Amino acid sequence: MGTLLQLFVSFITVGLGAYGGGLVTVPLIQHEVVAVRGWLAAEEMAQLLAVAQMTPGPIAINGATFVGYRVAGLPGSVVATVAVLLPSLLILAALIRVMDRISGNGHLERARGGLQVGVLALILFAVWSYGTVVVTGWVELALAAGAFCLLVVSEGKVQPAIVILGCGVLGIALF
Amino acid sequence: MSAVDGTTQPSGAPDALVGLRSIFWAFFRVGMLTIGGGLAMATVIRHELVLRRRWVSDAEFMREMATATLVPGAIAVNIAHLQGRRLRGTAGSAVAILGTVLPAFGIILAVALLALPYFENPVVAAFLRGCAIAVAGQLAFAAFVFARTHLRSVTSVAVCAVTLTVLAVFGVHPVVAMALAGVLGYVLAGDRFRPARIDTAPD
Repeated sequence: MGTLLQLFVSFITVGLGAYGGGLVTVPLIQHEVVAVRGWLAAEEMAQLLAVAQMTPGPIAINGATFVGYRVAGLPGSVVATVAVLLPSLLILAALIRVMDRISGNGHLERARGGLQVGVLALILFAVWSYGTVVVTGWVELALAAGAFCLLVVSEGKVQPAIVILGCGVLGIALF
Repeated sequence: MSAVDGTTQPSGAPDALVGLRSIFWAFFRVGMLTIGGGLAMATVIRHELVLRRRWVSDAEFMREMATATLVPGAIAVNIAHLQGRRLRGTAGSAVAILGTVLPAFGIILAVALLALPYFENPVVAAFLRGCAIAVAGQLAFAAFVFARTHLRSVTSVAVCAVTLTVLAVFGVHPVVAMALAGVLGYVLAGDRFRPARIDTAPD
C-alpha cells in the first residue's frame, strides 16, 4: 500500500513537470525512481527507458507503465500510468473552459502566434538532444537523413510507422 | 465525466458527427504504430486526422497542437484530449485518450512479461537501433512541417531563435521558454505570426 501511494505521488510529480513531452519525461522519471526513491539501479533504469523510447506510444505512458510494473507488479503499472496522466487531464480540462470563454477577444490569438513558434523551437531542441544520442556515426546519419527525406518527399503517402519499421530492418543489415 | 452536450462542441466541428468507435480506432492505430513519443506521434496523428480521414483541417490541427504543448504531460494524450473533444465532445475526448493510452500500456506489459530477455540478442538490438535512428528523422520532419507553416517572417524566425537559445544554451525550463515565446509573440504584433493557409491558398 505504501509503495503504491509513493508510486502515485512520484508519477503525479513526473506528469506535472513533463512539459514538452517525452524527452523531458525521461530525465524526470530517472530522477524520481533512482535518486528520490531508490527503487531501481541507474543501469536498470536506463534499460527500461530505452525500451520505453523504442516501443509504440507516448514515452511518459510507456515509462510509467514499465517502472510501475517493475516496482509493484500489475497494480503498480496501473497506478503509475493513471498518476502520470492526471495532471495534464485536469489542467487541460480547466484550460479548455477558460479558452472557450476568452476565445473571442483576440489577445489569445496574438499570444498563440508566438507560442506556435515556441513549439517549433521545442521540436528543434528535441531533434538536437535526441539526434545526438542515437546518431553516433556516418551510417546512422545517412539512415536518419534517408528517413527524413523519404518523409518530406512523400508527405501524406508513406506512413511514418512504415519508415521506422523499414529503418529497423535496415538496422539488422547494417549494425 | 460530465454528460455529452452536443451544443457545447467547439466551433469548427465537422457537420457529420464522427462515430465514437471510429475515433477510438483512429487513435488506437496511432498509439499502436508510433514509436518515438509525443512530438513524433503528432506527425502521425496529423497524418491520420488531417490527411487520411479529413476530420480536421491542417490549420485547426496546428492551432490545437500549440494548446496541447501549453500543458505538461504526454503531448499525444493532450492532442487526443483536444481533437477528441473537437470531434465528439467529452465522450470523444475519453475514447481518444483511451485509444492513445491502451496500446502503450498493453505493449509495455507484454514487453515486461515476455520480450525483455531477448533485448540482448544482437539481431533484436540492431533492429531497435535502426528504429531509434528513424525516430530522429521523424522528429526532423516534424520540425520541417512546423517551420514551413510558422516561419513566415523575420519576426517569427527571431522569436524561434531566441526561444531555442534559452532552451539549449541557458537550459531554461521548457515552460518558461514557451511563456517567453508567447509574450514575445504578443508584444511583436501577432499578425505577423499568422500561419500560411495551407488548405485554401493557391499554389
